[in-house]
Amino acid sequence: MNKLLQVLAQRRDLTLTLIVLVALFITAVIISPGQRFPKEESLGFMTVTLPKGWPIFLTLENLTDILRTNAIIGVMALGMTLVILTAGIDLSVGSILLLASVVTGLVIRDTNAPWIAAVALGIFAGTVVGALNGALIAKLKVQPFIITLATMIGIRGLAKMFSNNKTVLLPNEEGTQGYAFIEIVASKWVTIGSFVVLAAVFALLLWGTVFGRYVRALGDNAKAADYAGLPTQRMLVAVYTLTGMLAGVAGVLSCALDENADSTQGVAAELDVIAVVVIGGTSLAGGRGSILGSVLGLLIIMILKNILGLNNIGSNEQQVIMAGVIILAVAAQMIQGSSLPAWLRIGPLKN
Amino acid sequence: MPHRFFQAQSTHVTQSPPDTQPGPDPTTQDPLLRASGICKRYGGVVALDHVDVTFFPGEVHALMGENGAGKSTLGKLIAGAVPATAGDIEVEGQLVRIANPTDAQRLGITIIFQELDLFPNLSVAENIAIRNLRFGESGLVRYKRMDEFALKALGRIGLDISPRTLVGDLPVAHQQMVAIARALSMDARLIVFDESTSALTDDAVDRLFEVIGQLRDEGVACVFVTHKMDEVFRLADRVTVLRDGRYVGTKRAAETDMAELVRMMIGHDVDTSKHSPSHATEQPMLRIAGLQTPALKDVSFDVHRGEVVGLAGLVGAGRGEIGRALFGLDPITGGSVELAGRQIGFGSPRQAMRAGVALLPRDRKTEGLMMQMSVRENTSLAVLPRISPAGWIGRGEEASRCDAVGQTTRLKAASPHIAVSSLSGGNQQKTLLGRWLLTDADLFFLDDPTRGVDIGAKEDIYKIIEELAQRGKAIIMVSSELPELIRCCDRIIVMNEGRSVADLKRSETNQEEILTYATAGPVVSA
Amino acid sequence: MPARLSAFTMIALTTLSTLLLAGCGGSGSDAKYLVIFCQANNAEPYRAAQNERFEELFGERDDVKLVIYDAAKNGTKQVEQIEQAIKQQPDLLIVAPLNNATPNKPMEKAQEAGIKVICLERNTTGKHYDTFIGCDNKAIGRMAGEFIVKALTEKHGEPKGKLIELKGSEIQAMNDRHDGAFEVLQPHIDAGKIEVVHTATANWAKTEARAKMTEAYNATEGDFDVIYAHNDPMAHGAYLVIKGKNEQAAKDAIIVGIDGLAEEGVKWVEAGDLDATFEYPLCVDKAVEIGMKMIEDPDFKPEATYILDSRPITGK
Repeated sequence: MNKLLQVLAQRRDLTLTLIVLVALFITAVIISPGQRFPKEESLGFMTVTLPKGWPIFLTLENLTDILRTNAIIGVMALGMTLVILTAGIDLSVGSILLLASVVTGLVIRDTNAPWIAAVALGIFAGTVVGALNGALIAKLKVQPFIITLATMIGIRGLAKMFSNNKTVLLPNEEGTQGYAFIEIVASKWVTIGSFVVLAAVFALLLWGTVFGRYVRALGDNAKAADYAGLPTQRMLVAVYTLTGMLAGVAGVLSCALDENADSTQGVAAELDVIAVVVIGGTSLAGGRGSILGSVLGLLIIMILKNILGLNNIGSNEQQVIMAGVIILAVAAQMIQGSSLPAWLRIGPLKN
Repeated sequence: MPHRFFQAQSTHVTQSPPDTQPGPDPTTQDPLLRASGICKRYGGVVALDHVDVTFFPGEVHALMGENGAGKSTLGKLIAGAVPATAGDIEVEGQLVRIANPTDAQRLGITIIFQELDLFPNLSVAENIAIRNLRFGESGLVRYKRMDEFALKALGRIGLDISPRTLVGDLPVAHQQMVAIARALSMDARLIVFDESTSALTDDAVDRLFEVIGQLRDEGVACVFVTHKMDEVFRLADRVTVLRDGRYVGTKRAAETDMAELVRMMIGHDVDTSKHSPSHATEQPMLRIAGLQTPALKDVSFDVHRGEVVGLAGLVGAGRGEIGRALFGLDPITGGSVELAGRQIGFGSPRQAMRAGVALLPRDRKTEGLMMQMSVRENTSLAVLPRISPAGWIGRGEEASRCDAVGQTTRLKAASPHIAVSSLSGGNQQKTLLGRWLLTDADLFFLDDPTRGVDIGAKEDIYKIIEELAQRGKAIIMVSSELPELIRCCDRIIVMNEGRSVADLKRSETNQEEILTYATAGPVVSA
Repeated sequence: MPARLSAFTMIALTTLSTLLLAGCGGSGSDAKYLVIFCQANNAEPYRAAQNERFEELFGERDDVKLVIYDAAKNGTKQVEQIEQAIKQQPDLLIVAPLNNATPNKPMEKAQEAGIKVICLERNTTGKHYDTFIGCDNKAIGRMAGEFIVKALTEKHGEPKGKLIELKGSEIQAMNDRHDGAFEVLQPHIDAGKIEVVHTATANWAKTEARAKMTEAYNATEGDFDVIYAHNDPMAHGAYLVIKGKNEQAAKDAIIVGIDGLAEEGVKWVEAGDLDATFEYPLCVDKAVEIGMKMIEDPDFKPEATYILDSRPITGK
């Protein structure tokens, strides 16, 4: 137990995010409206009957719904975590999402290609834009904010050119590629599964590989990374390429879930994604942060949205409350070093 | 490649005649500022230890000392840029408190910083009038009156530039003049010049000195912080020497000579008896001939396996720049560099590292360490690919290698997982040294490896250097402390204004000789 | 970092690329009449459909040349484009204002220059036009409300049931669509027959509507009869959520959207996903009809406003 506390104290940013999350979860359970009818729920191996009055928030159905709805933002947040760790930013993810969605939708609607090819092309389109971002940032040494602001505008325009400003509806009659695509990709477990698998892969990438270590080193001190012989330019290209690829995945998921590609997809998504990453304790100054943190940040945002929605809170009130929680979550990470171990009653850390 | 120009320069440097005729002895007047018992501590480090100094109106007073002697600190302290820890300051016989620059300015004291504190995106006039922008009742800036104000100040130092020019567009020398004009516009009676010539061309230095002479004639006290001998004798009426934060003495420039000042700067109480044993071999590792880069004019010397070669010289003489050239950070524009018999010229640190060169940068915080990352992560950074099959970090291998090198460097850390920022300066430096020891390079360029490091860690670092030499590595070491160079190095190359001007064997030289080469005026090639 | 481009090179490059791009749009036909359409934002399916219909209808006439400007959701840009249009002295200027105040000045200028002006779809406060051709969101809302009352009566024998409303974003169109429907619904709500069980704002977007509908479905435990969404994509998003939860519930629920674009709402109604949508007229056919009269017949005086009726599209 003491050892666990020690570890938690060393990762105090994560610990505090976790505390905020747990507090939010408990609050959500308490304030959630109760069921008016008893309801059966299948847990896979057994079926339980949840009684009347059981909090709606705390049902498997609701909890998996939350994950499914937010998987798109979650997938993009994985890449954004890497980008922000290098002290960069990627504003173009929402536009890349739309491009990938349009490309996937057009291939399925207008060709006889198998749906898996459409998925591959959608993700490929995102990857190409990401690589373009990375190459421009690494070679021109222009701030990522500016480059990705430009691609944010340009890629959205390009996507609308492809779709001719129209909604690309997927054919969904049984037996068509569109039907197969929607049935498989939009299913609850594929949506949630792709986020979980990608989160695990990226967590391992960041934690266990040379590349992940280099990403943190680059964001911590770019000059020192150069002096230590790190391939800094190639890393930047790789980081933005991966982010573009993930935005491509998000676009494919959007296309399947909405059963179409339309121009409202991905609008302002970059802000949601950045909020998730920042709430997860990743510093905009670079070098500090983790995938686990971003997953926690995602959970905080989505639980909050869900509980406000379940309670039928007005959208303006939701925005005000959301702002408060974001500030709270980020302020919690700023609690200074010595006070937390004291707070957790484990004595000062040895230096 | 024979070192032809070394012989040509081995004669004693002659003193150049003063630029300005000294006026009547200013010390017969009442003193303008008298500081007594001044102490300044930064944490546990004593920068100034009971220093007494007096400045008179109408004198040019040089503050001299080696790097780290406390001369800059004293200048800044008088101008309120750093607060004193203890001591009294009297201005015209009145005891005053100078806690910040505003206090100092009210008393007519101002400072021209080495890194100019100008606003590059504002105009010359705005910079000069920055503390006095309201020329009228309305609260609006009156540009015309501001220009007149600026022109008056510029006129006093004879600088003919448009007050509307952006300061960032001016050459450095003119920027310096603008800073002086600003000081004058505030009716300064005492101006501290903090290493003002280090960024200037010779012509600009001449201009600056003219202006300083003129200011002196107007009765302004000019305090000139420098470590360049020739400047002292060209300009100063009196010289105060500091050493290790202590006051050594004040001399009239006309009554002293370079040899005496050098002796005062070094002192006689330095223990130079300790010497690291030599492991130098005859096998050449590095051969530099006529090296030129944007910062270096002409550098030539050899380093053999097992040899420790020191680079001495003033700040800005081009010592660290040799490392930058070797490590692919600065382009080589002329001359040749041979590493183990092969001509080299790296385009990036990555290439240099692969060829077996290691660079311990001068500023470990901005150029070396990732402060938020752990000690172990910092140590393993440069060798990570070697211990990571298929890109997956071998944590066991990482731990054992880092622990082993930590023992070699006698690194003290509560845990290898704590952030390197929580370590002391010495242990931070050992972490960084450990990173490069792990790469098993053949040539180590250590840029001031004991900078900001406590005594105990210094000894450890000396031992590491010796062990490296013993293993046949070639080491180049930059240091601002001459005793350190004499202790650690087999040979010492003296740098002066981008040139290597002397190649001295440890057994045949002494601090006086090194300092003389380092502080002599610009060298003319034979 | 590449070497700094010289000022001359920069100017040359910028000029060249602008010319090239502008050149793509030019065409040199000598039609008898010039019609300029200042569109607020091409990148909305509704407005893209307007453009397409204009091109189709004017394309049938050899004597008319049509030029479309896109303000791309930028008010300043729209002002500039109208001013630019005035300089070309068109026979007819059609403006689809981005908002109801910004284009007042340039539209006044156009009238002063003797140009005939049609204001399309969104009215302006200055009313500097010969005629306004538009439609009434409130009336459309009323039609939706009436449909809901009718459908509930069919289902339960009386106008009774639980309603979920998915709103757009806080602009006039949303208020009108809400107010219109509730003018009809309110008496039944006051009578305790119809109950609004959940309200959410989904900003006209399908993705957001799915998220909000998921919450609404869970909060109401699937106990609702009607979804009233302020546009078709939101209605269809809601349909997808309900279908994902319970196929039967998706068939039973009365799902109503608005806009009725050919590529969206109409198709969804045809597929049986939505029960009804209410066409928000493109206004283009009327604009062409009235516009041609104005051009060709100097004595023709158009009415101050033409409010076009919506058309219900129902299926299922």
